Amino acid sequence: MSISVQAREFEALKFRRAPVVRTVSVLIGVALPVLAAAFMVAATSDGSSQIGLKAAAMLTSAGWAGYLAMVGMLLSVGALMGIGFVVCWCFGREFTEKTQACLFALPVSRRRLAYAKFTVILLWALLLCLVSIAVAFIAGAVSGLGVPGPEDLVAAGKAWCGGAMAALLACPLAIVASIARGYLPGVGALVLLVVITQVVTAFGAGAWFPYAAPGLWMGMGGAAAAETVNPLQLFLCVPVSVLGIAVTGQWWKNMQISAG
Amino acid sequence: MITPAAIKAERVSKALGGLPVLDDVSLDVGPSEIHALVGLNGAGKTTLMRILLGMLKPDRGSAHLTGLPVSGAGAQVWSRVGQMLETPFAYPELTARENVYCSARLHGMDRDAAGSAAGRALSDLGLEQYATRRSGTLSLGNRQRVGLAAALVHGPDVLVLDEPTNALDPRGVIVLRRLLQEACRDRGAAILVSSHHLDEVARMADRISVLHRGRIIGTLQPGTVDLERRFFDLVLQSDLQEQEPL
Repeated sequence: MSISVQAREFEALKFRRAPVVRTVSVLIGVALPVLAAAFMVAATSDGSSQIGLKAAAMLTSAGWAGYLAMVGMLLSVGALMGIGFVVCWCFGREFTEKTQACLFALPVSRRRLAYAKFTVILLWALLLCLVSIAVAFIAGAVSGLGVPGPEDLVAAGKAWCGGAMAALLACPLAIVASIARGYLPGVGALVLLVVITQVVTAFGAGAWFPYAAPGLWMGMGGAAAAETVNPLQLFLCVPVSVLGIAVTGQWWKNMQISAG
Repeated sequence: MITPAAIKAERVSKALGGLPVLDDVSLDVGPSEIHALVGLNGAGKTTLMRILLGMLKPDRGSAHLTGLPVSGAGAQVWSRVGQMLETPFAYPELTARENVYCSARLHGMDRDAAGSAAGRALSDLGLEQYATRRSGTLSLGNRQRVGLAAALVHGPDVLVLDEPTNALDPRGVIVLRRLLQEACRDRGAAILVSSHHLDEVARMADRISVLHRGRIIGTLQPGTVDLERRFFDLVLQSDLQEQEPL
């Protein structure tokens, strides 16, 4: 038990101090809801401009509901990119910076260290999505949406779920960063995943593809497509994440160092 | 009863990428002993140390620590082991103190003990003034000192150090030698060090083994003169034997 605590403490300290984590935190926690507010202003204040027309096309409804849905859409993609990048860095950096040898010959197993990394990342990601929603309320109020009503909390909760699902879906990227022994291959896999998601969605199978389902549910394919996404399709992100975590843990348990 | 600390490789062979790196290597380090492993670049020193620390599985033979096979070593064995192979335990985003503290915690020490042990280890290696500096901002030599403090912080009685004096200044070399000799004397530590510097290992080791092209080709007697010549004689003799037609 205490060994797990020590592993989490170690990983949390490295995580807290990492500049890459701070940058992604600012981008997702602050820049993303502010960007959504800017789109909202562009969509409602000047509907004839190019950006205004494009922003208006993203809106699924008016007022807070439309704004929070836009935050949800941006979160479902932005969180996957940002948190995915952090997952790749967190696992791949041990190989890129050649610190992997420091994780051997310890009473704490490498599998526990891998699980500690996931625990820290997921707690941070869920909290970050919460911060993003809180900032969205401030940005929305400042941009003239007034005071949100109780019904808007449901839309905010839905947006948070979009971010949380993206966080879960980012976990399997650790497999690539570990096996390929570096964060760049992981980032490459992340980009490929986004491309595949676009293709699968274009072919109409998006709702059954775990990486596309959250975005569709948020309204990225329009209000009609969002209605068709069922809870089972959304729930698929959980087994995908659990599988990614388990495979990574097993790989870390068995990993060897054959080259410097 | 505490198992006597010991390091043992028994008839270890290992090939990497189809090339033999270690060939039937046997080596042991007893309690209160410093055993130095010397050899040219690519001799197989680091590979042997990786096998001894469970980082790599041997193709043949076995590795033991404190009398137990490395493949089945548990938390109790690893809590007694300190190591530094290639990259020191010096994460750039952490301060020198945080790195050493984390190493102590990962070796099973509680928070209070880890805090005071980290302070002592930093002081032993002359790092007090750098304790709150991020390791990424330290010089190569001081990062090496942080790594050594991390390897020694929990008072291990089994130590495996790969070229520990790399990047150290002459004072750092003397400090390290004193710390290793104290570990041997005070807690009966078994220490395996690798190095290219014969004069340096001659001053600290009780035994010196020469590893060449993956085989132990002989030993050198610490404290004797002309170690360098003896070393190259062994290497040349081994190369000539290999070239002789069967």
